[in-house]
Amino acid sequence: MIASVQSATILGARGHPVEVEVHVGKGLPSFLMLGLPDESCREARDRVRAAVTTCKYDWPDTKKVTVNLAPPVVRKSGSGLDVAIAVGLLTACGVVERDAIAGLAFAGELGLNGEVRPVPGVAPMVGVRPELDWVVPARSLAEARVACRGRVRPVANLTQLIEALNGVAPWPTIDEPSAVAVEPEVADLADVRGQPHARLALEVAAAGGHHMLLVGPPGAGKTMLARRLPGLLPDLDPQVALETTMIHSAAGVPLPAGGLIARPPFRAPHHTSSAGSLVGGGSHVLRPGEASLAHGGVLFLDEMGQFAPKALDALREALEDGRIMVGRVDHLRVPIPASFQLVGATNPCPCGGGGTPGACECDERSRARYIGRLSGPLLDRFDLRVAVARPAVGELLDGAPGESTAEVAARVALARRRALERNGCLNAELDESQFQDVAVLDDGGAALLRGEIERGRLTARGYHRIRRVARTLSDLAGAVDAVVAEDFVAMAFGMRARVGASAVVQAAS
Amino acid sequence: MSSEPDAGVLAVLAGLPGGNPRRLRVLLDHHEPADALARLIAGRPLHPMVERAWGGPSGELRGEIRRAAATGSVAEAADWCARLGVGVMARADPAFPAQLQVDPDPPAILFWQGDLSVLDARRVGIIGTRNATASGRATAFELGHELAVGGVTVVSGLARGIDGAAHRGVRSGDGRAVGVVANGHDAPYPKPHADLWEWVGTDGLLLSEWPPGTTPEPWRFPLRNRILAALCEVLVVVESRERGGSLITARAAADRGVEVMAVPGSPRNRACTGTNALLVDGAAPCTSVDDVLAALGLDHRRQCELPFDPRPEPDDVEQQVLAVCGEAPSTLDTIVSTLGIDVAVAAMAVARLERWGRLVEAGGWFEPAGSRLERS
Repeated sequence: MIASVQSATILGARGHPVEVEVHVGKGLPSFLMLGLPDESCREARDRVRAAVTTCKYDWPDTKKVTVNLAPPVVRKSGSGLDVAIAVGLLTACGVVERDAIAGLAFAGELGLNGEVRPVPGVAPMVGVRPELDWVVPARSLAEARVACRGRVRPVANLTQLIEALNGVAPWPTIDEPSAVAVEPEVADLADVRGQPHARLALEVAAAGGHHMLLVGPPGAGKTMLARRLPGLLPDLDPQVALETTMIHSAAGVPLPAGGLIARPPFRAPHHTSSAGSLVGGGSHVLRPGEASLAHGGVLFLDEMGQFAPKALDALREALEDGRIMVGRVDHLRVPIPASFQLVGATNPCPCGGGGTPGACECDERSRARYIGRLSGPLLDRFDLRVAVARPAVGELLDGAPGESTAEVAARVALARRRALERNGCLNAELDESQFQDVAVLDDGGAALLRGEIERGRLTARGYHRIRRVARTLSDLAGAVDAVVAEDFVAMAFGMRARVGASAVVQAAS
Repeated sequence: MSSEPDAGVLAVLAGLPGGNPRRLRVLLDHHEPADALARLIAGRPLHPMVERAWGGPSGELRGEIRRAAATGSVAEAADWCARLGVGVMARADPAFPAQLQVDPDPPAILFWQGDLSVLDARRVGIIGTRNATASGRATAFELGHELAVGGVTVVSGLARGIDGAAHRGVRSGDGRAVGVVANGHDAPYPKPHADLWEWVGTDGLLLSEWPPGTTPEPWRFPLRNRILAALCEVLVVVESRERGGSLITARAAADRGVEVMAVPGSPRNRACTGTNALLVDGAAPCTSVDDVLAALGLDHRRQCELPFDPRPEPDDVEQQVLAVCGEAPSTLDTIVSTLGIDVAVAAMAVARLERWGRLVEAGGWFEPAGSRLERS
């Protein structure tokens, strides 16, 4: 009178294997659930009971039912174990043959009418035991296929499942379409009129993987530019694509048609977002945050200075390590991948009038306070800091459309390939020790940098960032040798506007 | 200097609520300071003219003033002034600056620190917006410096931006400065100019209408501006918006028959809209220090050669970039689209210009670093 069924739960963005053991035996009639189920998981008892009875199977009313979710140290949450519990119970009661469930695993939620419903995180659940055949909700088919090496059996309701297990009916073939994300129309770079320097900076960001800060008044096109960055990036490599898919699945974000996320995601959380929603976490469910959802793609923070300082600080770990460790006292600590390209946008001052020296309504103090909300350590992460001015009206009306996304993306792909072949990594990730080998400065460039350092305008960290950007510019221009010419160093300088409280004070004295 | 028995009394009177220099003037015109204070405290009637200005013996303001007069400690106020080295004088004082003595709206009581003889030299006011461009600040600095070298005293308000730059120029030229401020001598304002404040208070003359402990509320600045205007012979406005405190000072100067000069700027530069409007209204243009010296009737012929400029002459592209930035502060985007040159060429030009100190950058905007005055 005992049965054991394979399933999984999610922790962060990862699956965790769970064995559902069901014992039906003598004792006072009751239904016990062991193994750290949380409230949402404990409710499975009533859903399973209703589903089993509506599907006309006998409920062991006179028996004591014990369900153990092993391993009991991991907290289980959500409704994804419903199907496994129902199958375990029916097996323990003898409705289903024990052999029939060998080599199978189950994921899905039960409705009171016996319907098998999709749950968030099917992909990571399947991915933790990919060698098994998985029974999943019909609408999660594409998602499960991304991670499964065995066969995926989609089912629409409990009756269908039990009949298939018992060999009464064949496994159903899928007729219901998967839940599919509406693919956002990718905006084209050709829409950006004028702004040659900002366009170039965007291209550099794409080619080198550099984080970018756009500073400019409202209406200058900061968001417009940022939205066009993912279009310039190449497809995700298979490993990252899988990780990103897992994260999106675990967070319950609708996936694209094929199930697999192949294009870099673009996430733009609102500036009122909490630290938790940015980096993930939560007291019960360790939900991936926006930083993780942007894994492999672009995280765009508009009005960056308006984010809570705590939230921005929390991002710094991700920028450092490319992942986020989320932990609670009663949870295991789970890393969630979060390797993204950060694009920040900010107004130069509270009045929004803009940055133009001598033209803004704000006094220095409010300006310093406004831009000072971006901490120095955070500003330091931006290789590219670009001032964006409102384009002239004439340019908007008569300006010829700029190069299209496709043209620029081709150059970007080429530059990225050059960098990867030479460094083994993107230029933004270049280590200081590699500079001698891959980014030697010519005399002019070295003199330029030395001058700036002597004048105290460049810190050691800033120096390295300039060299990285100059390397990318050189790659974009097609220079194959390891020497970076003076022109590119000067251009890199132009893409590193002095921003922050220190710049305001300096401008005032 | 504050051993005058009156110092404490005057400080208490100057610090009374209502803060109206005219009322104070009427009061001191008709009563001795000590007598006035005693009457205010006791609520005894004042001279009928004074009662009219002060809203009658039963007026709301009188009650407030009475309470304040009663709580203010004369000894404490005198002690505070003495500790700060601040001198206090009423209009009856023979040392009271003559320029203010004859003013239509003079301060009744002056608090001063430093050296009153600074006012005996020729005096030029340099003022302008707090929100200045780099070239505006450089212009103010150069004006201040050159005038200091010429032995002219420079009057200004110690505010951020133009005012501070002008006085820094004076300090670099080892000249004498007069600062007129809108708060008490106890706390330098604005904070970043604490060093200038101290220098003006020791080597120059730091004037205020208000006793120590007064905070710089916005309404005090226009009042301060009339004293500033009254103290100069020529007033130069370096940069100002279409509306700004500098224009109030310029009007106050014009009302007093002080010659107002303005430094012309590009019409596309917002920091120059006020000064350009002044020029339209008939202010004299100030395109070099000589213009100011000539307005003072001083010998403006140069004694020495211009110092040799070791910087390389800007090349063609650099000239064009300088011209674009000179018209209005520009981003690289604007430079590239205006000139139609390659981004790399523009970036190189900008980098070289910056390196030679011809351009400065802040927040991605480039503006000329040099002064707008002509080199004669």
